[in-house]
Amino acid sequence: MTVHQKNLRTERVQHGLFLAAAALLIAVGFAFWGTLGWGTLRFFLQHGLNRTILGLRYHPIQGEFGLLPFIAGSLSVTLIAVVLAYPLALSVAVTATMVLPHRWLPAIRQTVGSLAAIPSVIFGWWGLAMVVPLVRKLGGGTGFSVAAAGIVLAVMIVPTLSLLAIHAAMRVPERWVEGSLALGATPDQTLGRVVLQSIRAPLAEAGIVAVGRALGETMAVQMVIGGQTFFPHNVFAPGATLTSEILNDIGLLPPGAFGHHVLDVMALLLLLAMYGLVLLVERIGGREIG
Amino acid sequence: MTLGGYRVDNEAPHINVTHLSVAYRDQRILKDVSMTVPGGRVLAVIGPSGCGKSTLLRVFNRLVDRVSGVHIKGQVQVGNFEVIGDHVDLVELRQKVGMVFQHPNPFPFSVFDNVAYGPRLQGVKNSNRLRLLVENSLKQASLWDEVRGKLRRPASSLSGGQQQRLCIARALAVSPQVLLMDEPTSALDPLSTAKIEELVLALKGRYTVILVTHNLQQAARVSDFTAFFREGHLVELGPTKEVFTTPRRSATEEFLTGRYE
Repeated sequence: MTVHQKNLRTERVQHGLFLAAAALLIAVGFAFWGTLGWGTLRFFLQHGLNRTILGLRYHPIQGEFGLLPFIAGSLSVTLIAVVLAYPLALSVAVTATMVLPHRWLPAIRQTVGSLAAIPSVIFGWWGLAMVVPLVRKLGGGTGFSVAAAGIVLAVMIVPTLSLLAIHAAMRVPERWVEGSLALGATPDQTLGRVVLQSIRAPLAEAGIVAVGRALGETMAVQMVIGGQTFFPHNVFAPGATLTSEILNDIGLLPPGAFGHHVLDVMALLLLLAMYGLVLLVERIGGREIG
Repeated sequence: MTLGGYRVDNEAPHINVTHLSVAYRDQRILKDVSMTVPGGRVLAVIGPSGCGKSTLLRVFNRLVDRVSGVHIKGQVQVGNFEVIGDHVDLVELRQKVGMVFQHPNPFPFSVFDNVAYGPRLQGVKNSNRLRLLVENSLKQASLWDEVRGKLRRPASSLSGGQQQRLCIARALAVSPQVLLMDEPTSALDPLSTAKIEELVLALKGRYTVILVTHNLQQAARVSDFTAFFREGHLVELGPTKEVFTTPRRSATEEFLTGRYE
């Protein structure tokens, strides 16, 4: 066999491997949607649409599958987390890139990066020690609450969000900053009117990523939210999110159990929400700064 | 008073530099520079790379402050305005002393919003007034005919030469008295360069212009006075014609004839 023939054969093998890997990935993706979709379909065939998504009471043993408490839980926890974390992360990014000396930036990025790598169970554990007692003091009750989960999530996503914002701010060329200052703008005006203005697309993208992170987090939430299936009427009430409730019910509703497929419905809802976020990022993303 | 059809709000001021020294940490960039630039004239600043000409320019609008560890000694006056000192109002200074950079640096906004940036900072909100200001500035920068009807397009859609004239219009919109130009044509093609040079000639009289350039022909074409810097020292300053034809210092002659490195 000549060298040329050998090369051709290696190339064919490589092609085959890559194709197989790609096919496998796509197949797994379809399997996901397929399994969840099939489970969801079976659930609705068995129990009907009646008061599932919009129902307020969740009691699988009694055949009540209202998911609104968890949808509300997921949304409010995410909202609290992002509203708290976003300004904080923006301040971190602005301080790191615009205020502090440039030679500090690598160290700041490393520190923030290492915070972003902390496993979520540690944030939950920290939440148990610090946040739950704090919320108890502020809002009464046990402290296990939607608010506690939101705060823990906020702390958890600040590093990721800061990192994304720092990267966005680093892409603003110095010549725009100088151009603005040279026109008599104060540093604050330059920050607001040129720097943040020019990176609003990547900042929005970072926000969406943060929403995804908060919406999908399970462990840290489950540890501090209180795990109640009632509709949380205020932020100091305990509650549950779609993710934490799935975690709760995996043991309670094993395959074959009555109402098992409500897990598929919840999972599909999450998957759809995430898919929506991905589409949103794609619409904003890829857009250059400016 | 009108000049070339435009109203002149400001008498172009002369610039006085007395014993100016600038150092970054222990590195001395400008050494005891003293000079005067008559109002309304164009001064070309020439010299080999690293001679301190860009630093000199950045002293006039105090953009030099952005470098950490910078020390400025001496006095600089723009008209009656003291430039050096801890309590100088940098906003006021930079409204008086505009700057055009080496590489065109329009903001990632529309053509209109670029020119309107300065006036808006000063609190101009009235849309008619803004429109008039933008139009006048673009006319002064001889860009109006090329961009009228395209004011909402992104500035980045303009050519490099147009972008540089947009930056000049943006600087003029603040009604400065002095215009600092830091090698404004070094990134441009010959045709765009010629347009900028024409523009500098047209702005003469209304503004005091300090033009840093690597292009000796450009200095000869557009400036009234030329200053030659070397290693932080002002070697020679005089009427451009004299400096180019009968330089008083041998270092100047060597540089002008390409024998200096």
